[in-house]
Amino acid sequence: MPNPKDYAILFDASRCIGCKACQVACKQWNDLEAEKTENRGSYTNPPRLTAHTWISMRYYEGLRPDGDPYFDFIRGSCMHCTHAPCVVSCPTGAMAHREGGVVTVDEKTCIGCRSCVQACPYGAVHFDEARGVVHKCTMCYDRISNGDQPACVKACPTDALTFGTYQEIRALAEERVRVLKERGYARANVYGLAELGGTHVLYVLTEHPSQYDLPKAVREAEKRAATGWLSAGIAAAALGAGLKFIVERREALKGGGQ
Amino acid sequence: MITVNLPNPMGEEHWGFWIALYFFLAGTTGGAYLLSVLFYDKDQGLVRRSALWAFLGVAVGAGLLVIDLGQPLRFLNLLLNGFHPASVMWLGSWFLVLAGAGLLWVYLRPTSRGVQQGVAVLAALVVGYTAVLLMQTAKPFWNASPLLPWLFLASAATAGGALLRLWYPHEKLSRLVIASALVEGAVLALHLIWTYPAATPGVLALLVGPLAWAFWGFVVVGWGLPLFLERRNAALAALLTLVGAFLLRYFVVMAGQV
Repeated sequence: MPNPKDYAILFDASRCIGCKACQVACKQWNDLEAEKTENRGSYTNPPRLTAHTWISMRYYEGLRPDGDPYFDFIRGSCMHCTHAPCVVSCPTGAMAHREGGVVTVDEKTCIGCRSCVQACPYGAVHFDEARGVVHKCTMCYDRISNGDQPACVKACPTDALTFGTYQEIRALAEERVRVLKERGYARANVYGLAELGGTHVLYVLTEHPSQYDLPKAVREAEKRAATGWLSAGIAAAALGAGLKFIVERREALKGGGQ
Repeated sequence: MITVNLPNPMGEEHWGFWIALYFFLAGTTGGAYLLSVLFYDKDQGLVRRSALWAFLGVAVGAGLLVIDLGQPLRFLNLLLNGFHPASVMWLGSWFLVLAGAGLLWVYLRPTSRGVQQGVAVLAALVVGYTAVLLMQTAKPFWNASPLLPWLFLASAATAGGALLRLWYPHEKLSRLVIASALVEGAVLALHLIWTYPAATPGVLALLVGPLAWAFWGFVVVGWGLPLFLERRNAALAALLTLVGAFLLRYFVVMAGQV
């Protein structure tokens, strides 16, 4: 569970209008270059996060089973996990938590091995080929550590994004879910309370997280590695003993027959 | 700042051709050393020669890894930048260094059986950690089943046995290669079935998609044909097995990133 005094961001999907002001503000503040993109039949553009796109709004449209149309948005970006798989898998300590629970990468230490890229369940860390290091959202650490809000939060015109302490943000998220349920959104929920030790970016959703391609019940990287080591140990013992048994029993049988 | 981008000859993945080649080199030569210690410890000439191959495999493989880093000159950060035992990448780097030194020692000087077995444990860790490294990621094709270490270790036994067999034709090796190839095939089939629900795109890419050439190439040329040829033309069977061992590493690495 994050420290109550940690930094946190709330994304309230019920208030988002999909204007991408956050996406643009992120590019501007962090001086990220433009991506060459093409129309893929969706407003989601660029289609995924990259080393130069740290926020990309995702758009979901279609018809509900009862025939009602829906058009939902989610802010795709780093979730600043408490048990962050990118931090766990980093072999050099370049990817680390800073004060306030924010996850950032130290470009001077990063070796570009891309363990973190493979470890992130949100696809939020990306390799910059030109510089040989990885990049991702920093929660605008340069701004928040000086008392300002992240650029994306500041730019949001509908209060879909809110910045504050984890305690405040979590209370606000739970209050919003209560209000939404009163208004008839029976499936309203908070995402990020249980995932990876609690994320420092919380989402208020009106639908099940799977509707927004958000992973549920993500296994922590420590546990995945522990399963791997256990399995490897059993495999080595079983294969070694098994092969030895098969090969030498045959030899012993042959020896006995002579 | 010096960055190197060793182009992937066959794709734009984060971990691609060079990583697969390293997995193959370390797995095959490490497997050969393991088998020689397990089954031929009376033949010190063979143990020491296979220690040399394994040293070369580990050294060349580690060289490929360093060149594939975004910041190759910072590779020492892997070893000297703190203690990160939760990171499989960090542990693997140490296994490579220790196993490399141990293998060189076994080759250069007459060593006791205990030393050779200790180095064999390090070699097994080098062979096995690569699977745990993949399992620590968020990619379902790699981590949805615990069988990847079984697959890599069985493949190391098959390919290592084939490598030994090229230089040291021996009936016992033939039985060993057949037994471990059968285990390898069963584990691969089980892994595909087990991961299919979570990693459908990856499994389909192997069976009928862009990686089908590597997958079916392995099944037919690198696995089935050697089993058929084992009693007829052992040298050809061994060569095909080695080709298959590379294809296996390649399609496992690529299918995780589909």
